[in-house]
Amino acid sequence: MSRSTRKLILPGTIAALIVATVLLAPLLPLQDVRGMDIPNRFAGPSAGHWLGQDDFGRDVLSRLIWGGRASLFIAVGSAIFAAIIGTALGLLGGYFRGAVELVTVRAAEIILCLPPLLLALLVVTILGAGTWPLVLALTILYTPNYTRVVYAATQQVRGLDFVTAQRSMGTHPMKILVRTILPNVLPPLLVQMSLVVASAMVIESGLSFLGLGVVPPTPSWGLMIRSARGAMEVAPLLLVWPSLALAGTILTFNLLCDRLQSALDPRAVTAGGALWLRPRSAAAKKPATPVEADADAPLLEIRDMSIAVRDMELVRRVSLTVRPGETVALVGESGSGKTLTGLAMTGLLPDTLRVTGGTAHYTTREGKAVDLAKLDEEGIRALRGDEVSMVFQDAAAALNPVLRIGEQVAEAIRAHHDLEGDALQTRVVELLRHVGIPDPEQRVRAYPHELSGGQRQRAMIAVAVANNPRLLIADEPTTALDPTIQAQILQLFAQLKRDTPGMGMIFVTHDLAVVAEIADRVTVMYAGEVVEEGPVAEVFERPRHPYTAALIASVPEGGAERLTAIPGSVPSPRQMPSGCRFAPRCAFATERCTANPPKAEHPAPGRVTRCFHWETVT
Amino acid sequence: MSELDTSAPLVVAENLGRNFPTRHGLLGRAHDVWAVRDVSLTIARGETVGIVGESGCGKSTLGRMMMGLDLPTTGSMSFDGRDLSALSNPEMRKLSRRMQMVFQDPFGSLDPRRSIGAQIADGLRTHNIVPGSEVKAEVARLLEQVGLPTSAAQRRPHEFSGGQRQRIAVARALSTRPDFIVADEPVSALDVSIQAQVVNLLEDLRRDLDLAMLFISHDLHVVRHLCTRIVVMYLGRIVEEGPAEKVFGSPAHPYTRALLAATPSLHPGDGSDGDRILKGELPSPANPPSGCPFRTRCPIAEEACARAVPPLDPVGEGWNVRCIKGGPVTPATAQEVHA
Ligand SMILES: Nc1ncnc2c1ncn2[C@@H]1O[C@H](COP(=O)(O)OP(=O)(O)O)[C@@H](O)[C@H]1O
Ligand code: SF4
Ligand code: SF4
Ligand SMILES: [Mg+2]
Repeated sequence: MSRSTRKLILPGTIAALIVATVLLAPLLPLQDVRGMDIPNRFAGPSAGHWLGQDDFGRDVLSRLIWGGRASLFIAVGSAIFAAIIGTALGLLGGYFRGAVELVTVRAAEIILCLPPLLLALLVVTILGAGTWPLVLALTILYTPNYTRVVYAATQQVRGLDFVTAQRSMGTHPMKILVRTILPNVLPPLLVQMSLVVASAMVIESGLSFLGLGVVPPTPSWGLMIRSARGAMEVAPLLLVWPSLALAGTILTFNLLCDRLQSALDPRAVTAGGALWLRPRSAAAKKPATPVEADADAPLLEIRDMSIAVRDMELVRRVSLTVRPGETVALVGESGSGKTLTGLAMTGLLPDTLRVTGGTAHYTTREGKAVDLAKLDEEGIRALRGDEVSMVFQDAAAALNPVLRIGEQVAEAIRAHHDLEGDALQTRVVELLRHVGIPDPEQRVRAYPHELSGGQRQRAMIAVAVANNPRLLIADEPTTALDPTIQAQILQLFAQLKRDTPGMGMIFVTHDLAVVAEIADRVTVMYAGEVVEEGPVAEVFERPRHPYTAALIASVPEGGAERLTAIPGSVPSPRQMPSGCRFAPRCAFATERCTANPPKAEHPAPGRVTRCFHWETVT
Repeated sequence: MSELDTSAPLVVAENLGRNFPTRHGLLGRAHDVWAVRDVSLTIARGETVGIVGESGCGKSTLGRMMMGLDLPTTGSMSFDGRDLSALSNPEMRKLSRRMQMVFQDPFGSLDPRRSIGAQIADGLRTHNIVPGSEVKAEVARLLEQVGLPTSAAQRRPHEFSGGQRQRIAVARALSTRPDFIVADEPVSALDVSIQAQVVNLLEDLRRDLDLAMLFISHDLHVVRHLCTRIVVMYLGRIVEEGPAEKVFGSPAHPYTRALLAATPSLHPGDGSDGDRILKGELPSPANPPSGCPFRTRCPIAEEACARAVPPLDPVGEGWNVRCIKGGPVTPATAQEVHA
């Protein structure tokens, strides 16, 4: 049973209890709901009457349960009727558009314009008070809500590829609606359902309270509240019971629908959202005391760094060196741990992840050596955005959508420098011009969505280089861009490096051709490990690891009749092969490879490979 | 090329155009936004035609029109001699058995809530490809054909990696035994090593099943590898089309040359890319430049280019270019693009 299914148990049980009690009311050993006992009116709780007696001396407990029967029947019944009709209308309107849309959705919107209570009053006045007219009134009232929600969801879903695939398959539209679209609009539908049940219970109580709903002497929670109000001073408890029942039931249904919604998600994502935005737990780290670095120390030297989530190792003993002015490309397939390695350097790891071993020595501007892996939050914040900064793949997600780009660049500067007013403004404009945003004086006032994809990327780069960082980590910064725009951004990186000679760069990418264009050295990662490392030209000329060789051969460049594909896919962190992690897909694998993991070898100065048979690879 | 090519082409698009009029504000006048304009194209059985161009240039809209998923505003589209716009809905649904699509996003193209087997079986059931009792066996056969274990049928999409999902999407497309496949950026979202798996798979299927294929991509290397004929689009129009070795070997249109220069290579030139990189960005299709659409970014534009949209003129056998100064040019970095 998954975690999200387990979370259903509590609200499910309570809801089942409520429904069962109400359904089984005739069988329960309750007092007669209508049996009056005038002498004992307003009597408090007693052995015979657990919750006391009301203004006619009737048993409150049995009235509460029987009243729940009426209230729940009306609320849940109308919520379900309305859901069925409203969903059908919304699906049809959202999928077919045109005339169908007009008849279904627009008509529903007209009903929505009328005040709900007024509408209910109208129906009840025409049909007379009672249970069924109330169900009808509430159904009419709530149908448009469902229609609107389902309509909006349908419009979103109908544009998705898997629906288009069904259409191109020649599937009948009705079948597409029921089989493909309906299950995918269910989550918002459930939310709506929980809202409607709650609201229907309130309106039922309201109307009964006004004498327009359930007709006495049939009990309902609304009626009970009404009669209790009259006797509030004498017996305040009489008001408490039905109110508690009402509130408790509504809460239970809301919780149930909420949990049901996450249980229905096939991916069963229980925790979600931008993990890395949450504060990191404080206990993990102690402040590291900086020491004087060697004069010729590299800018960054990662040694044997491991990153794990709980007991699962995602990155294992990664080593990487960046010298001043050097660009190191980090390549590998998705899921190989490139991004995590980059994030660890900026202290931006999601808080479920931990650096579990190794060191990452960074040499600061002042020539101090600090271990980025051991630095506390405060220490890393002082470096991040100033000395070490990061460019992400998805600029649209990384920039704040409600802040003008000028303000975002200014904010980055202010975080580390006392610059204000005109000087700050000048610097911002200068930066935007530097990264090639046309007409920067005007564009400082633009919001991210007003920029094209390429320009957003430039704006994010401006934020990253605002304080002349000494180490720039770029995570797939051109992957989402078109070829001519990608070329422009690569050129921008090259220019930035020319302008700031001491800046080191880690360029994360899965595109080997980009590596060849931009990097000095390359580090190839596979399944969380570094498998090969060396100068780009040498590695591409003569790869010394079967994985690198296969990656290069799978690029469709040159005239090969058939591409070299690496069979299979990257193993999941849960099922890592015990020997060499590449063994299941390796053309060179022997028995030795599955027995033990290979150690790092040095085929030439400055080169590393992690393979038993490196000598025979090329 | 086999003698089959002498028969009439399977897919014929004539002067296809698609306008998406958009209104600015409540009272604003509707603007014409032509996503595709004046595109004529034929594809024969066993042939793979590649469409390249940057996002927003109309590649996907063209693909959807050729699949009959979208109706052209102008021009006509016929499949196996039948005009798609003249077909009734049930007729179109029947014909769609023979035309299938593979999409770019391996995470969006499968219904997250249904098992792989059920989704592949849809096509089999809709078109009664096999009797009901054999559906299961056929699903297994299709999965094997794309290199997946038959046990995959019971699982749901989120349990698969991107490359595996793309194979599943291919299996689903193959389920109806189509003659024509539109593959819209099918490998763009995949890692290189996985890309190669899917490209090889498509290549094998094209050969074994004699499919006509429209392969849409912005990756020139992949297109060059897979396709016999290339169509280069810019702002909704074809700017160059012709045999792959001609278009990539000695591109006749300045945009094709720019695209080639912008594509990173394992063997980069001398680093003097600076002047070869195209300035600016794609103009909005709502407000295209007068005359030649490429005029605003073209390194060799001159006054005459603003006068009229250049015609698509032949520069060789089956090779056309839309540029008044067009003509074959062997790029300086020819070592990376030799035919
Ligand atoms: N927040 C997280 N919780 C658990 N696992 C994660 C998290 N982030 C990434 N992973 C896993 O870590 C591995 C490496 O991820 P990543 O660094 O993003 O790879 P890459 O950047 O090379 O694509 C993958 O298996 C991924 O699923
Ligand atoms: S150690 Fe063996 S399995 Fe691993 S890469 Fe080398 S040859 Fe292949
Ligand atoms: S017609 Fe003129 S602007 Fe257009 S591509 Fe040719 S040279 Fe360039
Ligand atoms: Mg990544």
